[in-house]
Amino acid sequence: MFDNLIARAIIPVTIAVTGFVIFGCLLLYSFIKADMTADAVRYADSLVETVVKSTHYSMMEDDRDALRNIVANVDSLDSVERVRIYDQTGHPKFSDLEGITEPGSVAAKVDTWAKTFMQSGYPGRENIQQRVDHENGYIAVTVPILNEPKCFTAACHVHSEGEQTLGFLSIGITSTQLEKTLAVLRYRMIIFSIMVLFLTIGGVTALLRMNLFLPILRLTYNAEQAAQGVAEYDLPKSDHKLGKLNKDFRLLVKQRDQALEDLKAMGNLDRNVDDGSR
Amino acid sequence: MTQETEAPLPDINPLRKQVQAKIKRLELHSSTGLWILALFTVLSMGAFHNFDFLPPLSEGIRSALGDGPPVKYINWALVMYGFSAIILILTQMASDKKPRGALGHFGYLGVFYLFYHFSEGLSENFWAIFVVGLTILGLQSYHVWNYYHEKIQEQREILVELDKLMD
Repeated sequence: MFDNLIARAIIPVTIAVTGFVIFGCLLLYSFIKADMTADAVRYADSLVETVVKSTHYSMMEDDRDALRNIVANVDSLDSVERVRIYDQTGHPKFSDLEGITEPGSVAAKVDTWAKTFMQSGYPGRENIQQRVDHENGYIAVTVPILNEPKCFTAACHVHSEGEQTLGFLSIGITSTQLEKTLAVLRYRMIIFSIMVLFLTIGGVTALLRMNLFLPILRLTYNAEQAAQGVAEYDLPKSDHKLGKLNKDFRLLVKQRDQALEDLKAMGNLDRNVDDGSR
Repeated sequence: MTQETEAPLPDINPLRKQVQAKIKRLELHSSTGLWILALFTVLSMGAFHNFDFLPPLSEGIRSALGDGPPVKYINWALVMYGFSAIILILTQMASDKKPRGALGHFGYLGVFYLFYHFSEGLSENFWAIFVVGLTILGLQSYHVWNYYHEKIQEQREILVELDKLMD
């Protein structure tokens, strides 16, 4: 019965605390991952914006050397895996690594993904496209280079007014650092959850044992002793954690002892009366 | 001189049978929590595979349903639901009330899976729903099992008393 009492007190607490801590950590990890990914995407967006703005003048001036230089300089950044400027049909015009793309590399994956948006008739062709691939470890952004009056009125170009998109800029950055940070966060959270679990369950168990189970065990032992006829003053002293229950139990045993003594005294008296009458 | 005769005891066999039937009924009730837990595990297996065994919804139904709510709102709803459900079950346990609502919890969790599925956040948040579901339904099944076992124990004691009367 006592084993059941311990189990009944600790099992629900264990299930509730364990479950909620794990659930909380999973959800918290999900929130943090979403926030960090959004930050990384913002970084990629701002990088794309910088490249677009810095190439704008060169494009207007049809300065191909300057464009090549800008693409090469952007590619020299540690996190950048791919920078490409495509024409409106999806053919690369300026690239960081002309013709040296290894199949299966991040650059190849970014190219494959980016080309899907460049097909004519694709619904979101004129919009910025973003992709976060945690499994393959990259973040890619593709922006359309839209037509503007300066483009179709310039002497060097052959773009007509009716062409909406003149080309695309595609950038792929590695998310290795992000994945590493997330992995560290995961391990820390696991360790923290285990510590919280041990502390909570251990703490609850210790408190229950100290304040409830041990006093009940002592009372049970005292009740067994009293049932075997041990007098109240011979019973082990108990603490006061069970309060009135403990006091009342000792009072009952005391009253029983008193009744037994009274009975014994009455028996002696009767014997004396019997002896005197003879 | 009249001879006093003892009145015969009423037949207690029907009563015994009633108690035995009640024990069987209570035993059946005590396993309902586990059945719902098993059902939730099966549903979770489906959710883990993104419900790809189900036929896709037609465009008409999809557009009638509209876009799913943002994943972060569903996350907050799940936190609120998980917290309230655990507190509710612990309160039920503490006040020794008849366990209720296991099927309701199963329904809520199923709806969460569906919301995440339609908002395309199921793969990211699957383990969170699964863990909170296991916790809620695990606690509920423990409460159901505990509650009905106590009732079964009471009925068994009555049965023992009836057996003594028969002897």
